[in-house]
Amino acid sequence: MKVLAVTACPTGIAHTYMAAEAISEAAQKKGYEVKVETRGSVGVENELSHEDIKNADFIVLACDTAVPTDRFVGKKVLSVSVSEAIKDAEGLLLKAQNAPVMKSQTQSSEPEENKGQNSFYKHLMSGVSFMIPFVVAGGIAIAISFAFGYDAFQTPGTLPAYLMAIGGSGGFGLMVPILAGYIAYSIADRPGLAPGMIGGVVAGQIGAGFLGGMVAGFLAGYVVNAIKKYIKLPKSLQGIMPVLIIPVFGSLIVGLLLFYVLGSPMAAINKAVADFLMGLSGGSAIVLGLLLGLMMAFDMGGPINKAAYAFGTATLVAGQGSAVMAAVMAGGMVPPLGIGLATLVFKKKFIAAEQEAGKANLVLGASFITEGAIPFAAADPLHVMPSIMAGGALAGALSMAFGATLAVPHGGIFVLFAVENIIGYVIAIGAGSLVTAVLLGVLKKDVA
Amino acid sequence: MLITKESILLDCAIKDKEQIIRRMASHALQINRITDVEPFVQAVLHREGEFSTGVGYGIAIPHGKSNVVREAFVLFCRVDHVDWSSLDGTDVDMVFMIGVPEMDTSNEHLKILALLSRKLMKDEFRQALRNALHEDEIMEILKKWEII
Repeated sequence: MKVLAVTACPTGIAHTYMAAEAISEAAQKKGYEVKVETRGSVGVENELSHEDIKNADFIVLACDTAVPTDRFVGKKVLSVSVSEAIKDAEGLLLKAQNAPVMKSQTQSSEPEENKGQNSFYKHLMSGVSFMIPFVVAGGIAIAISFAFGYDAFQTPGTLPAYLMAIGGSGGFGLMVPILAGYIAYSIADRPGLAPGMIGGVVAGQIGAGFLGGMVAGFLAGYVVNAIKKYIKLPKSLQGIMPVLIIPVFGSLIVGLLLFYVLGSPMAAINKAVADFLMGLSGGSAIVLGLLLGLMMAFDMGGPINKAAYAFGTATLVAGQGSAVMAAVMAGGMVPPLGIGLATLVFKKKFIAAEQEAGKANLVLGASFITEGAIPFAAADPLHVMPSIMAGGALAGALSMAFGATLAVPHGGIFVLFAVENIIGYVIAIGAGSLVTAVLLGVLKKDVA
Repeated sequence: MLITKESILLDCAIKDKEQIIRRMASHALQINRITDVEPFVQAVLHREGEFSTGVGYGIAIPHGKSNVVREAFVLFCRVDHVDWSSLDGTDVDMVFMIGVPEMDTSNEHLKILALLSRKLMKDEFRQALRNALHEDEIMEILKKWEII
């Protein structure tokens, strides 16, 4: 019996090696031949060769980080967390003998310990964790730009203009492509990255927002896996797969699908929502505020948010405050504010990286940079989106009920001077944020 | 040196995980392994927050990367049955604290840490550390197991 293993942990200082030792020891005890590849901070050691893999009876992956798994296709592979290997290596070896044969790396068995954490969630988290720094860097740069005056960035060649360029086209421009790219990377390993990122850019071009980016990422990952599986080249030409076939066909398939399949519905949704809002303008102001807040918080940069925002800016007349614009901004400020508040109060509900991003979210929310909430919504859409939508809706409705108005299109707390009935407005935003935070505390599960 | 005689603390009576981490970090400051306690403690607690470093078998390996670390070090502390939310649910009685500088260029100590981690999986090694009577004996054991 010959058993192979790969161990890897995020810090790569201790657990990687403890798991390696536990597996070697357990295997030797059973009289198996064993080789363990460690991927720690020292780098890859004891790397498994093709020969090793060919001769192996089964393979154990004890990894909490992504490791290349292409090479194990056709072998029995058991994938578990590092901690499980340290805890019960012998049990693993028993289980691994009956592990399913790996077909392509998307179908590798998932860590048994993480039952609630299906592969969908794992791919999503991979994208989200890479996206967070872009959101924070971009958002803070924009917030600093606003601090010079809400429209200071419009003067070319000034510091605020540069800050807006860095934060807006830089950080926020990369945000969705990175999300899509690393979702695809998680699904299809390295070949997924280019089609995924390109798909993310296309999702932005068709106005599909971060939800479109998520679609692009998953699409790219599975398309690349399909290409790997179905396009068989003679051995002499296999070298061109990763540099030519996969990037070109992957990106074209993903990009064209997005344009042709997702593009027109996106435009249609945007237009339908805009028409719907126009039809409402004569009706109840409070209902309109509620809907606008709901929409601002819904897809954050997608077609519905854009329609609501455009509707708000269209009501602006130079020098006059608009109640609709005020409701729109209130609804857009609540998601990051509420999430930031929740990360402070309900620490158990958020992983460490989210807690840090949560603090930045308070600044972003205060500056009406709704995008700060995107990583949270993308990571856990089912619980986060209802929470922020409810908060946004309440803020929008209250802002209308208090008769608050706003005379400029953006800026958050930097444009409070342009708000009429500031007290009512602040209460509306505060109440909305509070509702979002409490709902998050109730709906989200504790992180392990 | 990664481990010296002064990096060994025997029979610490503190029962609280965070207090032990603080106590060991202050010791690291005393023996000049770090330049400031709080940033290092935060780095360790942050890592601890991701998931517990209580790896089972009564061992915890809290570790942190921080720019207040002068050079990589290991502190060893024997404690009295402390709850570390370990993977196997057992209390911890031996703590290896590991500090690594943020900007680290040498791989040497990482290799030693990897080696230490491997040895910790050996029952015999753990029992020897548990039964040792004084710091010198611990140093002997570490030498015998080719860690230093």
